Amino acid sequence: MVLVSKMSTRNIARFWEWGKKIICVGRNYKDHAIELKNAIPSEPVLFLKPPSAYVREGSPILLPFYTSSLHHEVELGVLIGQGGTAIPQSSAMDHVAGYVLCLDMTARDVQDECKSKGLPWTLAKAFNTSCPISDFIPKEKIPDPGNINLWLKVNNIVKQNGSTSQMIFSIPYLINYISQIISLEEGDLILTGTPKGVSSVQEQDELQAGIDGIVTMTFKVDRKRKLI
Amino acid sequence: MSARNIARFWEWGRKIICVGRNYADHAIELKNAIPSEPVLFLKPPSAYVTEGSPILLPFYTSSLHHEVELGVLIGKGGTDIPQSSAMEHVAGYVLCLDMTARDIQDQCKSKGLPWTLAKAFNTSCPISDFIPKEKISDPGNINLWLKVNDTLKQNGSTSQMIFSIPYLINYISQIISLEEGDLILTVTPKGVSSVQEQDVLQAGIDGIVTMTFKVDRKS
Repeated sequence: MVLVSKMSTRNIARFWEWGKKIICVGRNYKDHAIELKNAIPSEPVLFLKPPSAYVREGSPILLPFYTSSLHHEVELGVLIGQGGTAIPQSSAMDHVAGYVLCLDMTARDVQDECKSKGLPWTLAKAFNTSCPISDFIPKEKIPDPGNINLWLKVNNIVKQNGSTSQMIFSIPYLINYISQIISLEEGDLILTGTPKGVSSVQEQDELQAGIDGIVTMTFKVDRKRKLI
Repeated sequence: MSARNIARFWEWGRKIICVGRNYADHAIELKNAIPSEPVLFLKPPSAYVTEGSPILLPFYTSSLHHEVELGVLIGKGGTDIPQSSAMEHVAGYVLCLDMTARDIQDQCKSKGLPWTLAKAFNTSCPISDFIPKEKISDPGNINLWLKVNDTLKQNGSTSQMIFSIPYLINYISQIISLEEGDLILTVTPKGVSSVQEQDVLQAGIDGIVTMTFKVDRKS
């Protein structure tokens, strides 16, 4: 398969319009693994969201019809500017175009069921609006992504507040690990994990998340309206 | 529908949605429960491999399995697509192999982990040329076959599908909106087995398409 690079014509700041994949890393913060009673992994846990999961400010997060337990997970997203396979850790950051603040919305009850039945996590993680995103943050705005604070409030109450310094696997490690198995392409987004403090949200809740001095974003939770 | 060339869907398509356990005999051979709803998992578009390039054994598996499948290519997207109009959203078909690291999949199942390393690796989705819709008038009644080194391994009819194509398009699009260029892998018959380096896989739908792939180790 030959991929023709369209780097010169694609607008990286509108990555959600054309990006082809979202790769998520689970259990990358020790305190989050502990709160979910998960084993601390020896290798990153990877799962996918499709690009249809993207939702931007101004549109709501929609509760999937099959869950009673929709959870928020605030994450630092790393946007790939230059693709590759088996990218060495030493040059991994050269492949990064910038960052995106993301929420890895998760149907927690369904995820628990999938885990106990050995099923894929698709219904728990990959539904429409399961990936709320901020505007694109150019790389130079965050010189040290391994040392920033992510926070999230639900209805003005702080729920999550953690530093990326808690990540078990670093961004260069993740880029190298993932690209050995799944080749990376310009426009791909990697969600790098969430700190502790996840909780469930209800219809009409307002989620606010941010990286101080860099970005803030707000989303409302809604139920899907049936078209009559 | 758009300026995009549907016949080269693998160059620009954004998602591959796979349906597991949609064939009664295959569920039984893997000792899986027959599901009440479709089991869905994703492959990224980076998984596509077309004839002329090899299927590459992932470094972490000792048990790479073939699964020949009928792929349904979406020509018109939608959300909550009704079953009654689902086939209008289909542009055509693709013969696919859902390459699977079976040992890893078993491990993921017992540990409650996602199936990503078992199903989503590079070259885990070998595909044929695009088959226009009119070439297969009854997709619920065709035969899929696969040979390894000339020995027939899989040979089954899509009439054994538990969930029909319109059902799948409706079910999936309620949860994950479909877009032009999306591919849905719908069903594999029984007879899955493991392949080794240098094996030659041949698969086909009689009278419609054949495809050949070699298994190799990444150099």
